[in-house]
Amino acid sequence: MPQGDHIDLARKRHGYRPDYFERKRKKDAREVHKRAAFAQKALGIKGKMFAKKRYAEKAIMKKTLAMHSERTNRHKADDQVQEGAVPSYLLDREQTARAKVLSNTIKQKRKEKAGKWEVPLPKVRPIAEDEMFRVLRTGKRKTKQWKRLVTKVTFVGPGFTRKPPKYERFIRPMGLRFTKAHVTHPELKCTFNLEIIGVKKNPNGPMYTSMGVITKGTVIEVNVSELGLVTPAGKVVWGKYAQVTNNPENDGCINGVLLV
Amino acid sequence: MVLYNFKKITVVPSGKDFVDIILSRTQRQTPTVVHKGYAINRIRQFYMRKVKYTQSNFHEKISTILEDFPRLDDIHPFYGELLNHLYDKDHYKLALGQLNTARNLIEKISKDYVRLLKYGDSLYRCKQLKKAALGRMCTVMKRVSPSLAYLEQVRQHMSRLPSIDPNTRTILICGYPNVGKSSFINKITRADVDVQPYAFTTKSLFVGHTDYKYLRWQVIDTPGILDHPLEECNTIEMLSITALAYLRAAVLFVVDLSGSCGYSLAQQASLFHSIRPLFANKPLIIACNKTDLQPIETLPESDALLLQEMKREAAKAGAGLVDGAPPDEEGCLLTMSTMTEEGVIAVKNAACEKLLQQRVEVKMKSKKINDCLNRIHVAVPRQRDQKERPPCIPQAVLDAKVAEAKVLEKRKLEKDLENENGGAGVYSANLHKHYLLLDPDWKEDIMPEIMDGHNIADFIDADILQRLDELEREEEEAAATAQAADEDEDMSDQELTAEETEALLAIRRKKKQILEEHRLKKSTADNKPVMPRKHDHNRQFNTGRMGQHLSSLGLDPGAAVERIRSKSRLGRKRERSAGGGDDYAMDIDQQPTKKMRARSRSLSRPHTEALPGEGYKDSAQKMKAMKIAKKAVKQRNKDARKGEADRVHYNLKPKHLFSGKRGTGKTDRR
Repeated sequence: MPQGDHIDLARKRHGYRPDYFERKRKKDAREVHKRAAFAQKALGIKGKMFAKKRYAEKAIMKKTLAMHSERTNRHKADDQVQEGAVPSYLLDREQTARAKVLSNTIKQKRKEKAGKWEVPLPKVRPIAEDEMFRVLRTGKRKTKQWKRLVTKVTFVGPGFTRKPPKYERFIRPMGLRFTKAHVTHPELKCTFNLEIIGVKKNPNGPMYTSMGVITKGTVIEVNVSELGLVTPAGKVVWGKYAQVTNNPENDGCINGVLLV
Repeated sequence: MVLYNFKKITVVPSGKDFVDIILSRTQRQTPTVVHKGYAINRIRQFYMRKVKYTQSNFHEKISTILEDFPRLDDIHPFYGELLNHLYDKDHYKLALGQLNTARNLIEKISKDYVRLLKYGDSLYRCKQLKKAALGRMCTVMKRVSPSLAYLEQVRQHMSRLPSIDPNTRTILICGYPNVGKSSFINKITRADVDVQPYAFTTKSLFVGHTDYKYLRWQVIDTPGILDHPLEECNTIEMLSITALAYLRAAVLFVVDLSGSCGYSLAQQASLFHSIRPLFANKPLIIACNKTDLQPIETLPESDALLLQEMKREAAKAGAGLVDGAPPDEEGCLLTMSTMTEEGVIAVKNAACEKLLQQRVEVKMKSKKINDCLNRIHVAVPRQRDQKERPPCIPQAVLDAKVAEAKVLEKRKLEKDLENENGGAGVYSANLHKHYLLLDPDWKEDIMPEIMDGHNIADFIDADILQRLDELEREEEEAAATAQAADEDEDMSDQELTAEETEALLAIRRKKKQILEEHRLKKSTADNKPVMPRKHDHNRQFNTGRMGQHLSSLGLDPGAAVERIRSKSRLGRKRERSAGGGDDYAMDIDQQPTKKMRARSRSLSRPHTEALPGEGYKDSAQKMKAMKIAKKAVKQRNKDARKGEADRVHYNLKPKHLFSGKRGTGKTDRR
């Protein structure tokens, strides 16, 4: 025993106090009442936090109790139905099977031709222009109101240079320009921080698409080279589409789902 | 000299607790109220403040933790190595590094979100941004929680390490397990190290302190080392090897001659030779323990040879320490027995002496000593001739010294008596021996202490007989004076005349009577009700009786009777008289008991009678009118509302506020 472990050393040499176990038992018994008193008296944020914790504890307790009592529970004994089992009146029918399995690329090509894509968020809330832009008053007497400041998150490419400030109508502030997005792969269920290549389509209008505004529901193209995806032909896939699933101006980051 | 004490490190909270603490602090210490209608700048500031406050709190707390934990490269290499063996240097550094990274990440998050908050144009957006910022900071901390748990464990263990000063005089005890190292340190210091028959009882370094030549010495007990190469040593053995390697101390290699530790002398000798490189530059002493079981003289030949070899090696090593001194073989090997305590002190003194010499040597050689040496100068008087001048002690003092010595020898001390008769617990001293009493035979008498329920000690007094005489004398005197006083009293009685005695008796009788009456009244005051005057039909209480009573007392009843009479006359019309008016005006408590009824209806007329001039046809109409009036007013009265009669005229422009030359805006005191 190290020299500094005074408590353990004292216990080893002299043993416990004569009333130690009694006091311990009583103290532990009192804890229950103290806890209840606190739960009843605590107000405000403290009370809420405690109630939340306690609720979680109780849920776990109930589950364990239910688990323990599973032994004495009785369940309905149902006969398992096997895979491919067919009811008796269908027994003599012939099943047709598809001859050809369509490959993924062909499906994609078909969809592109149709112009309709299957996206996780088919409908989004329409955003009005006065929500998107803020009017900027300029001029010596601040009477000119033709400039607009974009209030949503934007993406500008790497080779972006502003128009001369005197002539630019839509100002995209640097603080709201993002280059990376947190994209989730729907099958792998993991999220990657990928670079944005460009904005493909903003559902609120073609003007926003050309400006590069990113709102909820926008389809963006991301650089997936770090995922290491390969086409059946053997080529490396380095760009894929993803749809934005949050409001980036409220959360400070762009979250999206990869479109596979 | 830095004292290595790791007790002052702040407690490292777990990940969850850390987050809870910081968030609750933010919630308490920043303003909590903000509304949608505030100016947007104010809303932005409100949320930016929260984000910045949270970040600064995280920064502060993490910085204190990072500063409190010692950096393994900055402390003494002994402690660096020790902590490395105990906690794994890499893990330790990684944990602290992760904490540092977390701190930087949180700072970056805060900066980003504060920048974003500048573009928040609604309360909802700012609130979401603040939520996102705080949430991200907390996630960073939660990711670091395993490191925090590890650091807390390290802190708890580190705070219990014994505080070893690596720079002071130290004696290091090493050897095989179970040879008697811990018993040795128990004997020379106050360290209470566990001594058990099984090996590896001591599992860490133990420190004790002892004194030699008025200096404090540190004695370090190490866990036993087994003889295998360095790579195979476990953590406990590495502790002792670290201590050996990094501390400049005198090494005491303990050898068990009897082999009762379970290892033969050959094994111990081989261990000695394998760790010999660690003894370089350190004064070495080989202590042979357990000589009560196996004295060194009766040692078998092979073992004796081994010992001789070890001695030679030790001497060779020791020769290099002090320049010029030949290898001293005999000083290196000493015997002792920790059980019987013989030779223990000698071993300690030898070790201390060797180390002291070495340290002094080193100090003398260093450059710093020259500053001291320049200042120290021992002045010795110059010899002017060859005459010898020894110290001069008078003969009487010398004789007295000799006599004292003899007396001390002759006198038997109480302590010697105690030791002869069985020791401290067995013998109880006879304290009655030295009592000074009138008769020496009374010395062994048993004194009673309690008699009849009283403490005898309370009644004992040295001059009790004297006091008794005094008391008797006082009593006699008191009796004499009492008699004289009685006679004096009779004398004063004869001075009263017969009338006076009668008067005296009458007074006494009257007094008694009044007292009895009063007592009676008091006792019956609450039990008997008092007859109020309005039921006093017999007219017992009247002015005449009062006047008689007053005159019987000897007072003049005139004024009182007049007053009462005048009060009863108030109901009637007052007479106009110049003097009379003054009398009434002078009377203080004159209050009209009856209202003056001028021009009002006499009591004999009913109130529903319609008088001419009031405008009613007949009394029935008047009654109906009265009823309607009452009904109209009833609800208003029930609601306690203002009526026509409750009109108030406010003074909206009091003169004292609106007069004067001050204009409207000049002052705020109106």
